Amino acid sequence: MTARLPPVIGEWIDRSRPIEFTFEGRSQRGFAGDTPTSALWASGTHVLGRSFKYHRPRGVLSMANHDVNALMQYGARLNLRADVEALEPGMALTAVNTQGGVGADRLRVLNFLGGFLPVGFYYKAFHRPKALFPFWERVFRRIAGLGSLDFTAPHIRTPKRYDFCDILVVGAGPSGLKAALAAGRAGAKVVLVDENARIGGSLGYQRGGSGEAMDLLADLECELAALPNVSVRPATLAAGWYADHWIPLVDAKRMTKLRARAVVVAGGAYEQPAVFRNNDAPGVMLASAAQRLLYRYAVKPMDVALILTANADGYRAALDLLAHGVAIAAVVDLRPDGESTALTAQVKQVGIPVLKGHCVFEAESVGGHLVAATVCPLGANDRPETSSPQKFACDGLVMSVGWVPAAPLLYQAGAKMRYDTATHQFVPETLPEGVFACGRVNGVHARDARLEDGERAGSEAARALGFEVAPRTFAIAAEPSPPSHPWPIVEHPSARNFVDFDEDLQVKDFLDAIQEGFDNIELLKRYSTVGMGPSQGKHSNMNAIRILARARNQLPGEVGTTTARPFYHPVPLSHLAGRGFNPQRETPLHSRHDGLGAVWMQAGVWLRPEYYAAPGKRKSEIVREEVRAVRESVGVIDVGTLGKMELYGPDAGQFLERVYTARFANMKPGTTRYAVMLEEGGVVIDDGVVGRIAEQHFYFTTTTTGSGTVYRELQRLNAMWNLEVGIVNATGAFAAVNLGGPRSRAVLRKLTGLDLSNEAFPYLALREGEVAGVPSRLMRVGFVGELGYEIHVPADRAAHLWDAILEAGTDCGIRPFGVEAQRLLRLEKGHIIIGQDTDGLTQPDEAGLEWAVKMDKPFFVGKRSVEIVRKRGLRQKLVGFEVDPAGAMPAPRECHLVIRNGAIAGRVTSVAWSDTVGKHIGLAFVAPDMTTAGTPFFVRVDGGTMVQARVVPTPFHDPAGARQKAVE
Amino acid sequence: MSAPRTSPLAHRFATLHPEWVDVQGMALAASLPGETPERTQTLGVCDLSGLARVGVKGPHAAEWLAARDVSAPLRPNSWRPIEGGGLVARLARTEFLVEDGFGGGMALRLAPELRPGSPGVYPVPRQDCALALTGTKVNELLVQTCNVDFSALDSAARDVTLTQMVGVSVTVLRADIGATPCYRLWCDGTSGVYLWETLTGIAAELGGGPIGFKSLHA
Repeated sequence: MTARLPPVIGEWIDRSRPIEFTFEGRSQRGFAGDTPTSALWASGTHVLGRSFKYHRPRGVLSMANHDVNALMQYGARLNLRADVEALEPGMALTAVNTQGGVGADRLRVLNFLGGFLPVGFYYKAFHRPKALFPFWERVFRRIAGLGSLDFTAPHIRTPKRYDFCDILVVGAGPSGLKAALAAGRAGAKVVLVDENARIGGSLGYQRGGSGEAMDLLADLECELAALPNVSVRPATLAAGWYADHWIPLVDAKRMTKLRARAVVVAGGAYEQPAVFRNNDAPGVMLASAAQRLLYRYAVKPMDVALILTANADGYRAALDLLAHGVAIAAVVDLRPDGESTALTAQVKQVGIPVLKGHCVFEAESVGGHLVAATVCPLGANDRPETSSPQKFACDGLVMSVGWVPAAPLLYQAGAKMRYDTATHQFVPETLPEGVFACGRVNGVHARDARLEDGERAGSEAARALGFEVAPRTFAIAAEPSPPSHPWPIVEHPSARNFVDFDEDLQVKDFLDAIQEGFDNIELLKRYSTVGMGPSQGKHSNMNAIRILARARNQLPGEVGTTTARPFYHPVPLSHLAGRGFNPQRETPLHSRHDGLGAVWMQAGVWLRPEYYAAPGKRKSEIVREEVRAVRESVGVIDVGTLGKMELYGPDAGQFLERVYTARFANMKPGTTRYAVMLEEGGVVIDDGVVGRIAEQHFYFTTTTTGSGTVYRELQRLNAMWNLEVGIVNATGAFAAVNLGGPRSRAVLRKLTGLDLSNEAFPYLALREGEVAGVPSRLMRVGFVGELGYEIHVPADRAAHLWDAILEAGTDCGIRPFGVEAQRLLRLEKGHIIIGQDTDGLTQPDEAGLEWAVKMDKPFFVGKRSVEIVRKRGLRQKLVGFEVDPAGAMPAPRECHLVIRNGAIAGRVTSVAWSDTVGKHIGLAFVAPDMTTAGTPFFVRVDGGTMVQARVVPTPFHDPAGARQKAVE
Repeated sequence: MSAPRTSPLAHRFATLHPEWVDVQGMALAASLPGETPERTQTLGVCDLSGLARVGVKGPHAAEWLAARDVSAPLRPNSWRPIEGGGLVARLARTEFLVEDGFGGGMALRLAPELRPGSPGVYPVPRQDCALALTGTKVNELLVQTCNVDFSALDSAARDVTLTQMVGVSVTVLRADIGATPCYRLWCDGTSGVYLWETLTGIAAELGGGPIGFKSLHA
């Protein structure tokens, strides 16, 4: 461990717990508390990965969760962020995005082919000749992509949870700590989160060679510990902002959806790289990265450092490095006047040369190791004067030229940001209600000012929520000098001056894109792909904005920023998935169906028996048997999934007249009527049966999937109409079965004292009485086309009723039947299913429901649209058809196209083989001029085969309806 | 009515081999083999679907209840205890739920009187899956399943919350048993099995699980 320092105060590593691991097959050592990157850097391994496009060697950049060129794979864990993820014993790590390993990556040849791969090259090439496109697609799929998916990886359960607080403070640096303290002292329930493994932020690593910051941090931690109402959560990322201050907090184990009454954003800022030739060489890193290596992991980042700076932080970094044995070759300050604070004096006092108004023109590396950097004076227009270069031997180049606020949460919350020319960064101009900002994200960089700003924000948040806070005036000192340089970019004739390390974008790529007309920041982003890599532009967007602004002769504020969407940082899919709650409804007869061997199918949120399995029999055979039982004897099906509504009140009839297309006000108690519901556009959205129980009491059904939406719509309509009705959604309160078949009456007669004769209980009548001792509502309906009774009972007595029906039907060979048989039975009768034989555009006339639409009513929902459609004429019509010859194969299936004269003329909505008819029968939408019985057409089935069919009238079976109206 | 009633959770409980006790014509799990007091104290999920209950809504529902000596809460989304361990909850301005406790009979008395026909008084059939969630870890269960901050509910204020839990519409109120936190929860019976399995699955991870109703009074 050549670069491991003696113990450093505040280091995160535990030297008593060494860890063995491998990287690219080679044994390595580190300590608990290390990251893979810190352990490797300590051992002298500086090439940690390869860049995305050119496969250039890359090392440390930020040590702050943004080192996207040091993504690693560990078993099934891919794209592990090696700069921040904890090192674990036994890890076998490899760099992603290499072919042949990080040291001998075969794709490094791409670095020499850059001239053939300009920005947007994939938009312009490879699509011709067309035949070669699949080849190129395979090539690029093989080359692109980070990490390799292990499809056998076990499912990781990461339960989500909710949490609640008064004030969420995001970021536990100096300003965040003070904000949490201020809010906590006011009595607010505070949650303080920080994505780092420990709190403290820059207090822990921007020390300027002194222990003062650490003392301050210790004091703040003690104060926080004394406040039980402040929950401190390190290693937790506030990943986004959603309305009403819902914030997803992501930690190693789960996502917590936290609802805060107010949010203080103290997320700090991302340090920004300078742009010069070879600024990506391993050894070139942000100052804050070098400081994190020093103080968090006790790793000496380099032996000889060149400091490139444009603010006080660079001087502070020089002192930190010097304090730990790093020789400083020079401080190169982009600013003509340099820094003139106490820090400057300290730097000069220790003999470090300072070159004001200079820049790094290029870095030089050998074998992936930085060896020197060339420094030039900066001339007019920020251009380097290459006539008088100075070359500095160094193995480290430390950049501190500016910051970008970590403001995604503010953007998402609706904050209005402005570009501040005093600090050269975007700062909040107006904040939405309940959102506060402090510290670097607020444009406040000096440590004391950040502490003060944090106190202010925490106090204001608490006060806004009604907590008592003593009035105080806050004096936030102005920045002595801009923390960010407006143009930290040095052009170079040989390029390789990278702006975006994720996507290997160089300055010239941006200039080319702008030249091609992509001179809007959103267009530039999409064409160049800047900010679209794993770091999401945290180190590239600002420089891209600066380049675009200069090209357009504008200020960055005029160019604007791209949209910051949640989540602004990658979150494991397992966290997003959580447990996977999938609401499921079961009828009260579920266990009975299970006992009978039901094969389940999903119907909306419901589980329904598709059919009842029998040993040695195939589904098609069983379904035919179930159908036959209903046609020849008696069957029973659970229809409890139907929506069921109670409607009470003196205006109930009028209400139904408005809601449905048919007439209901004239219904007599004890009768039922088919009902079709339209939306305002005249589209069929639901159907059911309305029964009138009493003058002011209706009971009606909806489709299985429609009950929830229909109920909500009825409530909405009644809120508008203000009729005197009471609506009750009784879907779950009632179970229902349909007892159907010529012998259904005989079975039912054993269970009830009701007069079931055709005279006393005719077709479409409704009766109330007891069945098997259970209070029931019975409706004589004919969905399956046979004598039948729909029996509705309280859900808690359904099992008893079911058992009684099966027992009573034993003599008749009663058979439970499933949804598949029911679908065929109703198809034989030509009855439609809303949602299957209709779609989101179907008008009632198109579906053959004209008879159920009473246009002479003064009003019903959708009536006006139906009038318009009738004037315009139909576009399609649902017809029955049969396939010629009988048994033609392959058989049509639902959604197959209807073809006439080689053109599409419609589609099949329902189709099945019917033993009863002896043919394949179905329903199909066809052109309006194809509705005449006998009209031939083709159905294009799987594989493109054309099957002959012809229009036939419906019902296919028992057209007179004699069976369902059966008299004894 | 002689036909027996069946809890929405009956077949799930049957696999646990409980001691069944008839509650208003419905067999409920009174105790479970191996059930310990610790489970109730930690996190217990109990089926109370068998308790008698009636629902009533309509512009004159409050007067209808008052005429039958039911002292309903004046504030919507609140509840009051009634004789025998039962409760009356005001679910909305004009909707009420009355549920008997094990020792009461108010709902049973009201049910026969609640027939369609009274102007402005509409029966609401209640076929709920009714649960009790008890124990010190009940709030952890709730924060994993619902986005309402139940910990902020004041037990004394007797609030009623109508919300969604793991995608299911539920009515929740807090009714601690002595010092043990306890929430009552009602959902549509057809969603009962899904809700039950979800809650008991999470409860098991937290050291809890199903309990019989005797544990609530132990």
